[in-house]
Amino acid sequence: MPEDSNTGGPDARGRFTSRILRGGTEPDPRFTLANERTFLAWIRTSLALLAGGVAVEAFMADLLGPGLRKTIAVLLLVLALVIGGGSFFRWLNVERAMRSKTPLPLPLIAPVLAIGGALVAAIMVVFVIARPA
Amino acid sequence: MVAAAAVFLRWLPHHGWFVGTLVGGAIVTALAINVTQKRRFHRAVRGINQESMPPNVGSTAAVAASVVILAALGIYTVLFLPLQP
Repeated sequence: MPEDSNTGGPDARGRFTSRILRGGTEPDPRFTLANERTFLAWIRTSLALLAGGVAVEAFMADLLGPGLRKTIAVLLLVLALVIGGGSFFRWLNVERAMRSKTPLPLPLIAPVLAIGGALVAAIMVVFVIARPA
Repeated sequence: MVAAAAVFLRWLPHHGWFVGTLVGGAIVTALAINVTQKRRFHRAVRGINQESMPPNVGSTAAVAASVVILAALGIYTVLFLPLQP
């Protein structure tokens, strides 16, 4: 049985957690909970993008042509997928950094979200400007 | 999750039964989160009280995986499922 990194006693973390998060010491539980809250905030963003993608495809048939509609919907859904997956790895990297007391890593999904959101917004701006009155 | 499932419902007449799996998946995930809520809350309270709390890798990975799978199935629906009249 793996040893607890804090106490030297039996590891209460379970086999899966011990394998994923090896070494280091348990950080302050408030930091662990804060990291989890940030993860949940990213998941909410991902779910909003997911619902947005579905809504574009389902509700904008009268406004957008099929090609543009599909492009925007897929862009939003891909963004939801990347943010959803990336949020877990961000959470894991932050947890590892806190355990080993190293500087926190930069969240790579933040620029991905910014660029993706700006791209979708730019497409919509061009559509609104170019659309005949 | 339930809101996402409700939005998925809008696809049901256009893409058929396959969207039912998306709705079902989102609702099952939402139910699982709701059912385990109390247990996770008590775990967090105990962790703060004892000043040591192991991170919950399994739940975190499960939530992230469910969102990724729903998004992937959504992309598949948009790109490959034909619209039904």
